Amino acid sequence: MTYNPTRFVTGRIVRNEGRGEIFYRIEATIPEPLRFVPGQFAMVSGWPGNDPLLPRPLAVFRSGGTRGKGKIEFVYKVVGRGTALLSGLHPGETLSITLPLGRGFDLEQAGRTYWLVGGGVGFSSVFPAAAVLGRRRNGFEMFLGARTRDHLPPKEWTPGGKAPGRTHLCTEDGTAGYQGRVTDAVLERMRELSPEAASRLTILACGPREMLKEISTEALQRGVPAQVALENHMACGFGVCWGCVVTLWEGDRTAYRRVCREGPVFDAREVVW
Amino acid sequence: MVTPDLSVSLGGLKVKNPVLSASGTFGYGLEYTPFYDISRLGAIVVKGLSLAPTPGNPPGRIVETAAGMLNAIGLQNIGVERFVGDVVPRLEDVGATFVANIYGKTMEEYEAVARRLSEVPSLGAIEVNASCPNVREGGMAFGATPGGIAELTGRVRRSTGKPLWVKLSPNVTDIASIARAAEGAGADAVSLINTIVGMAVDHRTRRPQLSNVTGGLSGPAIKPVALRMTWEAAKAIKIPVIGIGGIQSAADALEFLLVGASAVQVGTANFRNPRACVDILEGMEVFFREERIAALADYRGGLMMEKSP
Repeated sequence: MTYNPTRFVTGRIVRNEGRGEIFYRIEATIPEPLRFVPGQFAMVSGWPGNDPLLPRPLAVFRSGGTRGKGKIEFVYKVVGRGTALLSGLHPGETLSITLPLGRGFDLEQAGRTYWLVGGGVGFSSVFPAAAVLGRRRNGFEMFLGARTRDHLPPKEWTPGGKAPGRTHLCTEDGTAGYQGRVTDAVLERMRELSPEAASRLTILACGPREMLKEISTEALQRGVPAQVALENHMACGFGVCWGCVVTLWEGDRTAYRRVCREGPVFDAREVVW
Repeated sequence: MVTPDLSVSLGGLKVKNPVLSASGTFGYGLEYTPFYDISRLGAIVVKGLSLAPTPGNPPGRIVETAAGMLNAIGLQNIGVERFVGDVVPRLEDVGATFVANIYGKTMEEYEAVARRLSEVPSLGAIEVNASCPNVREGGMAFGATPGGIAELTGRVRRSTGKPLWVKLSPNVTDIASIARAAEGAGADAVSLINTIVGMAVDHRTRRPQLSNVTGGLSGPAIKPVALRMTWEAAKAIKIPVIGIGGIQSAADALEFLLVGASAVQVGTANFRNPRACVDILEGMEVFFREERIAALADYRGGLMMEKSP
């Protein structure tokens, strides 16, 4: 998939509202529409003052608009001061946004079916992939997990499209769908797969590290390729600070690679868990 | 009014304006080409180069703090050979004035990196990192005493004919004596400050937040310290002082010039605003035009002190 070169733009907030129990959705106009690959992200700030100092990395959730008038959307969960301040911004106020950043999911291989796994706010990285696959009528299923029903993404955010994939909801307290961790739901389904079905499957996942680790380990044992979107603290988001590195395998040695540049999506085989 | 003359000579390197990028915050420069024409800057100072590629510290490298951040990257870099082979030609194509920040675990390594870089005609200057707080050997170990700075500066001086800048640590008692030691040993300019050693812990996990335990504090939180040390160093020596530390606006940069800096380097601000350097440059041009100041030299060092009674 093609995407625009990285740019630093000013966005004007159109909408910034809480949805469901814990999520916010922020929508802003930007100078031009954005082409991005699902899994790519942006560095976003907009609160006044120096504290916190650094922008926050947010997955690009949706983009749209027409020439000369682009639109961009992010969803986020308030986890600290930065996202708390972000949630207090009003329509008409401005955002500083650097985007698109990083390497997204590879959806280009022919003849694959996909499982998309989103744990917690990780759905914000996999929904854009679902939207692309739905438009292409490429088969996929989606697994979404949360602690409780009110922490699942609001239904209206789920991408529809011509061929919406089947969605499996999982809650740890059993208030919606499968009772238990989304990790276990995915592992159970994987164990039921025929070798023939497994050979066509690719898993795309974003969520807590432990979820990614368990799913990757099982997938690799079964020969199922998995792509995982990792998170880390970042200062710049575009590869200069070297603060966001993770440890990767390179042959039989390991190396520190940047989540913001070589990632955030990595082949699960590369990751040193 | 004509365009103000912002050019300045930094120890043998003449730059067209006093806004430079700080090492460690600007990659190898090319990462910023999507955002603006980096040849507009006085110079770019690239990430610290060592003789061999360096893997850096394990993850857990940055922590945000009040109006600043701590980092303990550990000088991860591609090594001097790849810099010369892959990066230099591209910086030449872009037309940027560039300065190499160098680092070694031993004095000999500093010398070897300096000698290799001396073979690069387009390189504007060498900045010796005598102040990295995040590596066990080299860096700050050599920069903490006047004697250490004098020896390191002297040895690199004898290894290169390039303009030689020495980047000083704030983690010292008397910056003036350190600056004088660098000057005495043949430095053409000094740059300061590098980061201030700090620490962050998590009260719930009861663990340090950085894998290196301690890290270097940067950002607006350190600006008053940086300004004071720039002032003290500028009073103590005759060679140019390049001010660094928490600069994120044209006003910040002008304050450093006022206390005696010949130029400034912009660091952490680049993370928040990739256009920070060029925004500061443009702001400075507007200021000089509005104030009808014809040249940087007419403003620099012009801090007005009340006479004591």
